[in-house]
Amino acid sequence: MKPALRNLLQQHVDSTRRDFLTTTASGLGALALGSMLQRDGLLAESDAASGLFGPRAPHFAARAKSCIFIFLAGAPSQMDLFDPKPMLNDLHGQPLPESIDKNIRFAFINAESARLKGSPRKFSRHGQCGTEFSDLLPGISTCADDIAVVRSMHTEEFNHHPAQLMMNCGVGRFGRPSVGSWVTYGLGSEANDLPSYVVLSAGVGSSGATSNWTNGFLPSIYRGVMFRSQGEPVLNLTNPRGFTRQMQRQGLDALNALNRVHYQEVGDSEIADRIASYELAFRMQMAAPDLIDFTGESQRTLDAYGVERSEPRNNLFRGYDPDAHATFGRNCLLARRMVERGVRFINLYHASWDHHDALDKDLVYNCSIVDQPIATLLKDLKQRGLLDTTLVIFAGEFGRTPLADGHENKGQYPGRDHHPLAFSLWMAGGGIQGGQVVGKTDEIGWAPVEDPVHINDFHATLLHLFGLDHLKLSKRFGGFDIRLTNVGGKVVNKLLV
Amino acid sequence: MQYKRFQTNTLWWIFVVAIVCLVSTPLASEPLRRGRDVHWSLQPIEAGSPPSVEDTSWVRNDIDAFVLSRLEARNVRPSPPASRNTLLRRLSLDLIGLPTLPEELDSFTGDPHHDAHERLVDRLLASPHHGERWGRYWLDMAHYADTNGYTSDEVRPNAWRWREWVIGALNKNVPFDKFTLQQLAGDLLPGSTIDDRVATGFYRNTLRNNEGGIDPEHDRVKRTVDRTNTVAQVWLGITMGCCQCHAHKYDPITQEEYFSFYSFFNTLNEIDTEAAGPHQVEAYVRHKATHDAEHEKILASIRDYEEKELQDNLRAWDATRPRPAHWQPLRAQRLSSKVGKELSQGEDLSVFVTRVDGRLDTYVFVAETDLEEITAIRLEVLPDDRLPSKGPGQAGNGNFVLTDFRVFAAPADDEAGRRRLTLENPSADFSSKTGAVSQSVDGDPFAGWEIHPRAGKRHFAIYETERGLQLPGRTLLTFELQHGLRDYHNIGKFRISVTSTSRPPGSKLVEVGIVDALGKSPETRSEEERVALLDYFRTVDPRSVDLARARDRHAAAAPHDPRRSVRARAVVEPPEARETRVHLRGDFRRKGEVVSAGVPVVLPELTPRGPRPDRLDLARWILSRQNPLTARVIVNRVWQQYFGRGLVVSESDFGTQGEPPSHPELLDWLAEWFRESEWNLKALHRLIVTSATYRQSSVARPELADRDPYNTWLARQNRLRVEAEIIRDLALASSGLLHLRVGGPSVRPPQPADVARLGFNDDVKWQTSTGVDRHRRGLYTFFQRTVPYPMLLTFDAPDSNNACTLRDRSNTPLQALTLWNDPVFLEAARALGRRIVHEVPAGDEREQTITGRLRHIFRVCLSRDPSVQEVAIARSFFEAQLTRLEDAPESVAQIVEGVPLRDSAEDAELAAWITVARTLINMDEFITRE
Repeated sequence: MKPALRNLLQQHVDSTRRDFLTTTASGLGALALGSMLQRDGLLAESDAASGLFGPRAPHFAARAKSCIFIFLAGAPSQMDLFDPKPMLNDLHGQPLPESIDKNIRFAFINAESARLKGSPRKFSRHGQCGTEFSDLLPGISTCADDIAVVRSMHTEEFNHHPAQLMMNCGVGRFGRPSVGSWVTYGLGSEANDLPSYVVLSAGVGSSGATSNWTNGFLPSIYRGVMFRSQGEPVLNLTNPRGFTRQMQRQGLDALNALNRVHYQEVGDSEIADRIASYELAFRMQMAAPDLIDFTGESQRTLDAYGVERSEPRNNLFRGYDPDAHATFGRNCLLARRMVERGVRFINLYHASWDHHDALDKDLVYNCSIVDQPIATLLKDLKQRGLLDTTLVIFAGEFGRTPLADGHENKGQYPGRDHHPLAFSLWMAGGGIQGGQVVGKTDEIGWAPVEDPVHINDFHATLLHLFGLDHLKLSKRFGGFDIRLTNVGGKVVNKLLV
Repeated sequence: MQYKRFQTNTLWWIFVVAIVCLVSTPLASEPLRRGRDVHWSLQPIEAGSPPSVEDTSWVRNDIDAFVLSRLEARNVRPSPPASRNTLLRRLSLDLIGLPTLPEELDSFTGDPHHDAHERLVDRLLASPHHGERWGRYWLDMAHYADTNGYTSDEVRPNAWRWREWVIGALNKNVPFDKFTLQQLAGDLLPGSTIDDRVATGFYRNTLRNNEGGIDPEHDRVKRTVDRTNTVAQVWLGITMGCCQCHAHKYDPITQEEYFSFYSFFNTLNEIDTEAAGPHQVEAYVRHKATHDAEHEKILASIRDYEEKELQDNLRAWDATRPRPAHWQPLRAQRLSSKVGKELSQGEDLSVFVTRVDGRLDTYVFVAETDLEEITAIRLEVLPDDRLPSKGPGQAGNGNFVLTDFRVFAAPADDEAGRRRLTLENPSADFSSKTGAVSQSVDGDPFAGWEIHPRAGKRHFAIYETERGLQLPGRTLLTFELQHGLRDYHNIGKFRISVTSTSRPPGSKLVEVGIVDALGKSPETRSEEERVALLDYFRTVDPRSVDLARARDRHAAAAPHDPRRSVRARAVVEPPEARETRVHLRGDFRRKGEVVSAGVPVVLPELTPRGPRPDRLDLARWILSRQNPLTARVIVNRVWQQYFGRGLVVSESDFGTQGEPPSHPELLDWLAEWFRESEWNLKALHRLIVTSATYRQSSVARPELADRDPYNTWLARQNRLRVEAEIIRDLALASSGLLHLRVGGPSVRPPQPADVARLGFNDDVKWQTSTGVDRHRRGLYTFFQRTVPYPMLLTFDAPDSNNACTLRDRSNTPLQALTLWNDPVFLEAARALGRRIVHEVPAGDEREQTITGRLRHIFRVCLSRDPSVQEVAIARSFFEAQLTRLEDAPESVAQIVEGVPLRDSAEDAELAAWITVARTLINMDEFITRE
């Protein structure tokens, strides 16, 4: 390499070092660039090993290394799954009690005329901790001692798309990075040949669709990379027919050589980044098929995750999908395999929990899709010693009303409306103190009465587990230092180990 | 407490943010406006004369004097100009976003005129593709898309019409002040034209939430906030869509001021307006006249036939006409209900179901007949006062769903020997749109015969039996009426009849009057019956049918009135202005003080035309000489597109939180020049791209890397990776696939099926375009907000949910995978390989052929000849691939994909060239403006 160019590159290295948490050469591209520079002797081996370009140091010691965020889009009903309300059953068919402020808008129902709806679900205590779970979650409830249920969540949005943005990006508007983008922006990548932020989806699509894993104003390297459930795992990962791996390697070598020639002429470090991106893409082509190749997994594991489960014959469920059971099971197993390979943040989406109608019937269907694979995932992570460093989250965008909604049938209303004031989610692993319930709602589940947790608080806690201070992890945009927790957020210490 | 927080937060931040941003953008506090303390962006534009420089020979226009004087002060020499090849490709990409043609290379590089550069610039500025290239940037700012956004993300079929307007306006070089007035207040301009109104579509690029349960007023407020913020950002360089509200040390300006500004947009209404241009209307009127004349001829021929021949033909038909069927109602031997309802048969043999309840039922009707031949069965459903809506069904609206009607026949003495009869040609006097009578015999349990909305009337269905059905002796007939779809949708009253008349008339005939008329001799028919019969006869008379078909076919081909079919999304100002009140605590339902339209006091004063300032006043204020922001902001944006970064780097934050300009004198000089040119955009483009500053080489300057790491001093040009759409255009154009039609509706190039499936509930439908529309320029790709075309996002196209004034230029492995393997780029590589082989035919010398082809492909893709080193690399790659391919005929067949040449050796060679083409398309230089 020419001396002048060496200098230039060295400056590039230096400036990257300076802009420790800034963006120009970070994430995947930077990681690969690091190894290339190392090859070229521009970066001391120790620097590369210490993770200048790859993993970045958190603000303080981290408990979690990876996160599997299971998003139940549409909003699961908390009083039928996690927050038992015997009083609600007693008041079934009654109007809202006088004590409740009725000056609230719902998507569909009218607070004055609506009637309370009890839950037909049976709740029982599980584990040593005795946390209550609904009978629809026979698998997840066996992991009770690892799970912290938060019953006092609340949000500011009550329509799906804005609320999904709020849950993913901290505010209910467009333009902000999602939580996975923030975490990978803050911590870099530990995966050598896979993206650090991956999205998996089973069944039909969600309201927010791709905006749920947006990079917002962060560089697009931090956008969630969609792994597909059919065909090639990443779009355009597979070489076209006829182009063998050897031919591809030759093509890549020729391309690198041509790019290097031009690099020597014009000295733009973007070209070096480009070469690194192509190398990483080539490694992904190798690694991703290995990732989705389950031949090394035992039949017992495959069965436990339910990757071969078939759908019920009845296809009249809301959001019915001919492969939902199998795909969701497969995605859970993929998530574990990704964690093993250093993927930082994994979103698992399953949509269609918006049960305005036929809640009892449809909730059975949805829970039968997700319960077994999630339970298996938790146990599998634990058994492999990965749960301590892997945060698992189960959440929707808001809750559902204690009031009934839907089409009247013999005097009964079979569903529940959107409810932003109170809902439940749970977290496990990654520094979460399991076997506890945090927060409490009133007797009908209308609003939190103890330890309310705003979504900004939830995000602050999540970042904290990764060793990131939510007040410090920010990026200047439009003249302001913007953070995931917007203008709020406080860490929920009760949740921590 | 929770409730309060929810209430407060819903919209509160949007407003607080906007307000605080206004505040924080500097333009704030009063003292900042006085004297030299005024923030730079609010000071009047002061265009000084260009500074004097030592090296006057370098200066091509005044821009260069400003840039060079600063360089000289730092003892830095500007870079030499880029080569002509580089300049040609640079100008082409910058001005029209397309690569140069290889033949242009020689003509430009060899052009002896001293002003060859300027002539090229003028030619490119005159190209219709200039509007596409620069229009796309304007689309980014307006955040254009083809769908509503949010959960349901419906298609906006007319959105493209505004895009067309933008492209046209830039191509016509509409001055920027008019361009602004039309978009912000086109509907309010005196003598407002269609063009003016279409331009207001700018406002209609806001998202719209049609999710179930949305409060329409809430969403309208959100759209108004978006309009307020977008206008402020795009024209004034003020970011309102941000937050971190707690961090500001500035005194807040009042909420009233934000809502005063908001009020300009709060009054407008959204409409879809007529958008046909005058030439379209003219063409329509011409075609319509021709069409009408032709149509008159057809009508004349029908009249002629009816006068001369129709009556004779009717008489002939009448003589042989089929007689109406003789229907024999059946008396039931047994009647039963599956769920235990009571069925009773009356005097007129109609069956009434005495109890109405919700359960779905199947009725069984058993009767004996001595008819030995049954040609058809008639099921009548009858009204009755005892039924809801008078029936004939039991549903609240009188409807029913007969999901299955089955008939079995058995000898009277052997009921076990029954068999099911096949029912054919079902017809009914009336069926609902989705409840066709044929569905009562198709075995599908989810559909059946329905009669909604014609409740309270008699209806009937006729089923023909299989031909030649013989029923010797007495026969036991069993009828099953199944209802299986919706609660309560059982039939309430019915009657079953059979006939042995051969081929009974179908449903058309059975309008009561005609049936009766057919039974009579011609002389005894009433006038009404004669008319009815003639009407009917026209539907069966072959000549009449032919003539009518010709008439209808011709009518269907009539030209569409573009005034009705070509619509655009626009806005209007209703006579009654919507009142604007401050929203207390940000909640739009909690109204505070009434405010009138106005601008914050920190900004220059607005002088309205009348007592109530409107959008036209606002637009004029934006363009007024007193307002120093607009011209600065716009020239900065244009500059940014040519150099990768603006003279003010924070291109949408001209406040104290933003960056000061690197060359303040140049910025002001340009701003003033732009206003003096009467906002002439093409002149501004020309000024910048003909400067010596622009023409510099973009090669890095290692000696300056430390002193000026971001090239703020402009001692060279910058290399810029081109935008997502242009990357597509480059690949398609180089391979010869690109279809260059300008304008028109958006198109849907192929994408994998599971991409659209990410959209909510499988609602997004991606119907791949066919023909040339598969290969249109990237900016015409249909933009579905919730699931955008993946390649666009991979290369940093904005998501169109907010205004985007500067695109990111990321560099990721997904981009590498896209260029390598995306079917569009593979298709381009194939076509490019073929093009090279075709355009440089094999000569006698293999050596020469290969270098000739390499030279050609470099010229096509990169507008330059390859270096010796590059030829060596590419050549050895070509040979290595060829060696592999010669032993892999299967690979060859897959790579050339069904377009083989003459023999396998040639095919292998073509395949090897395709791999070379694929490598060239992946080069960093290919997607970079040098």
